[in-house]
Order: sequence, then C-alpha cells, then structure tokens
Amino acid sequence: MSINQLIFRNLKKNLKNYYLYVFALVFSASLYFAFVTLQYDPAMDKAEGSIKGAASIRAASILLVAIVSIFLLYANSIFIKRRSKEIGLFQLIGMTKNRIFRILSAENLILYFCSVFMGIFIGFAFSKLIIMILFKITGVQAIATLQFSFLPFIQTLIVFSVIYLFIMLMNYAFIKRQTILSLFRVTSLTEGKVKKVSIAEMIIGIFGIILIISGYIVSSKLFDGAFMEMSELFMAMIFILASVIIGTYLFYKGSVSFIFNIVRKKKNGYLNINEVLSLSSIMFRMKSNAILLTIITTVSALAIGLLSLSYIAYYSAEKMAVSSIPNDFSLTDKKDAEAFKQALSASNIAYDEEKIEVLQTNVNAKNILEKNLGAVTFDANNMVLSVISEKSVKGINLAKDETLFSGYSSILEKVMPLKDSGKVEWKGKHEVIPQTYMGLNDESILPYYVTDGGMPVAIVDDAIFNRLKKDIDPKIQKIFSVHYGIDIEDDAKIPEANETFKKMKFNEEHIQESQLETFDHQKKNMGLMMFIVGFLGLTFLITSGCILYFKQMDESENEKPNYTILRKLGFTQGDLLRGIQAKQVFNFGIPLVVGLLHSYFAVQSGWFLFGTEVWTPMIIVMVLYTALYSIFGILSVLHYKKVIKDSL
Amino acid sequence: MNILEAKKIHKSYGNKLNKQEVLKGLDISIEEGEFVSIMGASGSGKTTLLNVLSSIDKISNGTISIDGQEISGMKEKMLAEFRKNHLGFIFQEYNLLDTLTVKENILLPLSITKTPTREAFQKFDAVAKELGIHDVKDKYPNEISGGQKQRTSAARAFIHEPSIIFADEPTGALDSKSASDLLNKLSDMNKKHNATIIMVTHDPVAASYCSRVIFIKDGQIYTQLNKGDETRQTFFKDIMKTQGVLGGVQNEH
Repeated sequence: MSINQLIFRNLKKNLKNYYLYVFALVFSASLYFAFVTLQYDPAMDKAEGSIKGAASIRAASILLVAIVSIFLLYANSIFIKRRSKEIGLFQLIGMTKNRIFRILSAENLILYFCSVFMGIFIGFAFSKLIIMILFKITGVQAIATLQFSFLPFIQTLIVFSVIYLFIMLMNYAFIKRQTILSLFRVTSLTEGKVKKVSIAEMIIGIFGIILIISGYIVSSKLFDGAFMEMSELFMAMIFILASVIIGTYLFYKGSVSFIFNIVRKKKNGYLNINEVLSLSSIMFRMKSNAILLTIITTVSALAIGLLSLSYIAYYSAEKMAVSSIPNDFSLTDKKDAEAFKQALSASNIAYDEEKIEVLQTNVNAKNILEKNLGAVTFDANNMVLSVISEKSVKGINLAKDETLFSGYSSILEKVMPLKDSGKVEWKGKHEVIPQTYMGLNDESILPYYVTDGGMPVAIVDDAIFNRLKKDIDPKIQKIFSVHYGIDIEDDAKIPEANETFKKMKFNEEHIQESQLETFDHQKKNMGLMMFIVGFLGLTFLITSGCILYFKQMDESENEKPNYTILRKLGFTQGDLLRGIQAKQVFNFGIPLVVGLLHSYFAVQSGWFLFGTEVWTPMIIVMVLYTALYSIFGILSVLHYKKVIKDSL
Repeated sequence: MNILEAKKIHKSYGNKLNKQEVLKGLDISIEEGEFVSIMGASGSGKTTLLNVLSSIDKISNGTISIDGQEISGMKEKMLAEFRKNHLGFIFQEYNLLDTLTVKENILLPLSITKTPTREAFQKFDAVAKELGIHDVKDKYPNEISGGQKQRTSAARAFIHEPSIIFADEPTGALDSKSASDLLNKLSDMNKKHNATIIMVTHDPVAASYCSRVIFIKDGQIYTQLNKGDETRQTFFKDIMKTQGVLGGVQNEH
C-alpha cells in the first residue's frame, strides 16, 4: 500500500468518526464567510441605523474566529490523542517522525480544506438567506441580492489557513514530544487515576456551591439600591463574575463528586446498572474536565444571557416605543402641530388631537419612597415632576387633596420603587400644598422628553393645577409647556401619516416625535444586535456541543472494556443503554443546567435596562437553546449504542 | 447428572471464500460439581471453546445445553438473562471495573437479579471472607494486588451461586504464590459448595488442581485425564507427559 492509499484510507475511516467535526467546520466556515460577505455588502448600509452595522459585524466575525479556532484546536487535540496508537505503529515500522507528520498533514489538509470550501460554498448560497433574515428582523425594506465577491473569499481562506497552520504546529509538537512507548500508552494516561474522595475535596465542593450562591445573591441586589456609586457597582459586578466563575470551577472540581459520593455511600456498595454507569464515571471524569466544563458553562451562560437580553430588547421594542411616545405623533409647538394637522387633513387622514398643559413642579416625595436612597443621586425632598390636570386625562376624577401618578419606567421602578400610598407635598415658588398620594397607574401619558426619560407624571385636581400654575418656579420649567399628541384613527393609515410627518418642515428648535419612527429605530438597532448575538450563540452552541460529544466519543472508547465485562455478566444491551442515557443526562445536563441558572440570574439582575417584558423572551431563548443542545446529547447516546453493540 | 452437554459443536470464522474452522465437532459433557480444566497449545481453540460454552460466542453448528436448557438457539436477550442467573466468569485480566470499589464490583451480579439488599450483603460477607478480601472491600482495583484482584473477580463469579463458573486463564497474570492461593480457594469452593468450574489454562500446575483435564488439539478433543484417587503430584506428572506428547509441530512427510 502506498502512502497515498494510506492517506485516503485513513480519510475514509475518519470521515465516519468525525462527521460532527466536519459539520462544525463547515458551519463555522460558512458563517464566517457569510459574515464577511455582509461586511462588504453595500446593502448593509441600510441596516446600519445608528449602530455601525458593518463595524459590529466585523467585531462579531473576529469573535467568531476566536471561538472557532479554540474549538478546532481543542477538537484536534482530542483526535490526535486518539490516533496515538496509529502514530506509534508507523514509528514502529520505521517511518520517521517527519514523514508521519507529513502524512497527517496531508490527510488533515484534504479533510480541512474540503470542509472549508464546502463551508464557503454553503455560506455563499446562504448569505442571501442570512441577509434576508437580517432584513426581516431589522425591518429594513431592501432586496437581497446574491453576488459573489472575491474579497470575502480570500479573507475567509486566509483566516482558516492560519488556523490550519496552528493545528499543524500543534500536531508537530505532539509527534515530536512522543516516544513509541508513550504513544501506545497515551490514552490510558490522559484520564485521571481513580482516587478516593478526600476531605479537602469536600471542603472545595461546599466552598464552590457557597461561592455560586453568594454570586447569585449579590446579583439579585445589584440594582436594588445597595450599590449606589459607579465604583461600587463596578466592584459588585467584578465580584459576581469572579465568584460565579470560580464557584463553577470548584463545583465541577469538588461538588459533583462530593454529592455523588454521598449518594454512593448511602448505597453501601450495592449499585444498580444506572448508578454503575453514571455515578462512578461522572464522579471521576468531571473532576479531570473541570476547566473545560467551566469554560463551556460560562460561555453558554453568556450566550444564553446575551441572547435573552437582546431578545428582550427586541421583543419589547414596540412596548418601549408606546411607553416613551404614548401618542402616534408628539409635538411641542403650536405652529408645528397646526401645520401637521393641515397636512393630515389634506391627505384625508382622520385623527384625534390631544392637548395637555404640563407644569414642572418641585415635590417632596420622601414619604412614598420604598427605600431611603440617601442624598447621593438626588434629593427626595425636592424632586421635579411633570404635573398635569385631571381634565387632561379621560376617566379620572380626583378630590382636592389627591394626587395620582401615571407611567413609570421599569428601570426606575426597580431602582426607586414607590409605596402604594402616602403623603406628598407640592412646592410652588411660595406655597406648599400637601396631598395624599393615591397610587401609580401603568399607562404612560406623556412622551419621554417631558418625563425625563420615565419619571411618573403627576395628575392633580384641576383647582390645584391652577394654583400651582400661578405659583410656578420659572427656573425649572422646560422650553415648552404644552404637549400636542396626535393619534391617527385608522391604524392602517399610520405609515402614510408617518410619511407626511417625515416630509414636514418643522422648526428645528422644537421637539417632534413619531411613535412608528421610534419603534423602527429601536427594532433596527436591536434586530442587528439580536442577529449577531443569535448567530454567535448558535456557533458557540454547536462548537461546545461538539466538544462535549467528542469527549463522550473518547470516553466510550475508554469504557468499551467495561461494557464487555458487564455484558458478560448478563446485562443486556438495553440495560446498558438505559444506564448510558442516565449518564448522558448528567454529562450534558449538568453544564446546561448550571449555564441556564447563571444566565437566569444574570438576566434577572439587569433585564429592566433592556426592555419591559422578561419572561416570554427569556423562556423562548432558554427552551430553544436547550432543545438544540439536547441534539448533541442524543447523538452521543446513539454513538454509545454502537459501541455497546460492538463490545461483545 | 450432566450440567453441561455439548454435542458436535462446530465453530468457524471468516466468510465462504476464506473459512477458518476452529472447532471441529466437539462433544463435551460435564457433571455437576466437577472442576474441569481444558488444556491445549495456543491456537488449539480452547478459548473459543470456553467462549461458545459460556454463550459469549455463537456456534456455527451443534447444540449446547446447560442445566437442561439449550442455549445454542437462544436470542441475545434470553442469553443475557441466562448468563445473569446461571453463569459466573473469571478472566485473566481480572476484568474489574476500575471506577467501582471491590465491594461494588462483587455485588454487581446481584444487582442484575435485583436481590434484596439484606440478602446481598449477607452473601457478600460470606464470600468475601472465604476468599480473604473482606479487608480491602472499600479499595479501588488499582489499590490492591493482582492476587487480590483475581480473588475479587472470583468472588464476583461465586456470589450469585451460578450453575457453572467459567475461568479463562485465571492464573495467567499472577505470580506462583498468588496463583496457588487462588487455586486452593477455587478447589475449596468447588468442594464446599459443589460449584461446577470449567477452567481454561496452559499451566499444568493449575490444571493439576482439577478433577479432570480435557486436552484439545486443532479443534478436537485429543484425550482426557481423570485424577481419580491420585495425589496432585502424580496427576501433575501425568499431565506433563500428556502435554509432551500433545505438543510440538506435526512432522511434514
């Protein structure tokens, strides 16, 4: 058999084993190519919005390369270890190390670049689809065109060639370092020796769990007002990150084997098949894979967290737009409003007009604050709020001494929660009017530029409003005192009205806002974010799933003799397979559950900065992630099934 | 009463074009309570014979029945069921699970048959004391000596009181002291519990502990020796003689 035949035979055999590796490589190459194509695509300018589309896609592609190269190097290190016997054999029959290296390189070259080219081809075919997805979620109206450009092709090729060189370098170092003897032994050396669970380990295990929990507790208090200053907040975040990551590491290093050991001790040596296959092997394997598992867990937590947050932002885009611009169109100048109304009438669009007089008044709200915030951020005795009359709001009738708040952003609600009732004092320039606070309505009435980005609007009795109006402090008033809200009667006509709105020549000094415009803008930015985070998350999911799968493949080879023994003892294939399923639930489930928990607490601590709705988007993201991730667990069980079948 | 009966068993490997016949119509019958050893040169088919008798490998032709049940026609699932109730195994490489303690390894066969916990622990204590490994019950296999490993393996084979115990070169990896220890224990168990043991070996010393030795050559039974009332020493000499006749390459004429 000539060397070339040898290479091709190896290739054929490996392809069957490493189809997932090829798949991951093809996927990442195609995604990278698609990203780079997007970066050079002139159509991208339309999706840019205020965030630089091309720049963020470039950043994403760099991150993608980082993830992919770590994955490829790691996968390669598993593969070369698996083939150490073969390498030893080649050496035994007298091949030089350089020759073996050349054979491996040639073999890898074919496998690797075939996959990369296939990836580029698929990436090219799908870049239209990808750009269409992008346009769809950002709401950009543009036609995606399919054009092959040379620059992205070259860039992809160069990047993947560099990764290939690194892989080869690693293989070279591996082959150079080994002697014939150690090559034959390598697989048995890699996994840690079986040892007893020591007291130190128990302490490590408990300490790990404590660290994780304390990180969670601090994260839930992060925006509760416990950390007021920026530096404190920053320190708290660092603490959370450090304690959770270190805790995760210690958890894998000690806690898992510690917990399993307790279960095992209880059994007093009498284990059933599920426990034999899952408990014992996980106890020892998790420990030796602690770093890898920590990385996988942390990055999946990051991926799930970011995905959830960007989806929350995207999902809440409409609600955010409605709460920040309650009317379809908001104006502050009488002339602008008149001109716009005329334009609307001219194009036969029916509308409702709302005119609200707004005062800025000092208020002592100390009594109704849930927490004492101290004097650091602002003075609760002298808060400035927008005040409107009960007449401006339909369906509200207040007594002379009553004040009602309406509309409060979710961020402020979290940072500065209000009580259900209490006393407030309105402070005019001369006179102080004590009032009873009646509570908070959800509905927002005035746009964000009136309410300082989400402070509640106070509604008072008309008589009080007039008293305050006479007694206003000119220093704290805004440049406008009237809000004109225009609502289009027929929703279908809003886009048309929006076109009219955009064509109007308004006075630049005044503020004019359109709800639809705000919504589109939000959707564009968040859509692009979600698109990038989504694909990066997917890449990470696939690569980490593959790594776990390869690990399991490796493990199944190592444990094959055990299956032989167990089958000789009289366990059926079905018995063993059930045990393996239990084992895989732990092997894939523990990193997943820990990752989900981490991301859950991360999302809970800061979701209100991103949107108004937390549960639906977060659960959708988590369920999707879990489902995709489980595919790898199922694939690994199928692999085990084959190994078990072959074991007797 | 015959506990194992094999009639005209054939076993061949390979495909139609390239057939390698390993067993060529063997007849074997073994009585309850016998301690039999199978001897032969490498390649004579003794391990294959043990594998087919113990249902791990399928025969090409013939019938094997153990305890009155014919196992040659059984399906995989039935065989597993049969193995867990009727057979015990001791192997040359101990075949212990590295991730389990000695006790856990020994209790494995009982967990397949879902024996109640109390009964399982009683059986464990009895067999572990008899084989002298009760002290190391909480150690892992890599912490104990080869002899202890093999006795653990033996304990695992005995614990569920199977009809037959198959041993494949049990002393192959042991030094002579541990080997004689193990063989003494095996013949004790054989006498005390009337356990049937079939052992494959190429070591005449090990074979001399048995009550009967079957010699195999080229896939067929060459001869048998019965110990009868002889001492172990004289039986050992007999075995050596037979082996001398048996061994060697056929002269090419």
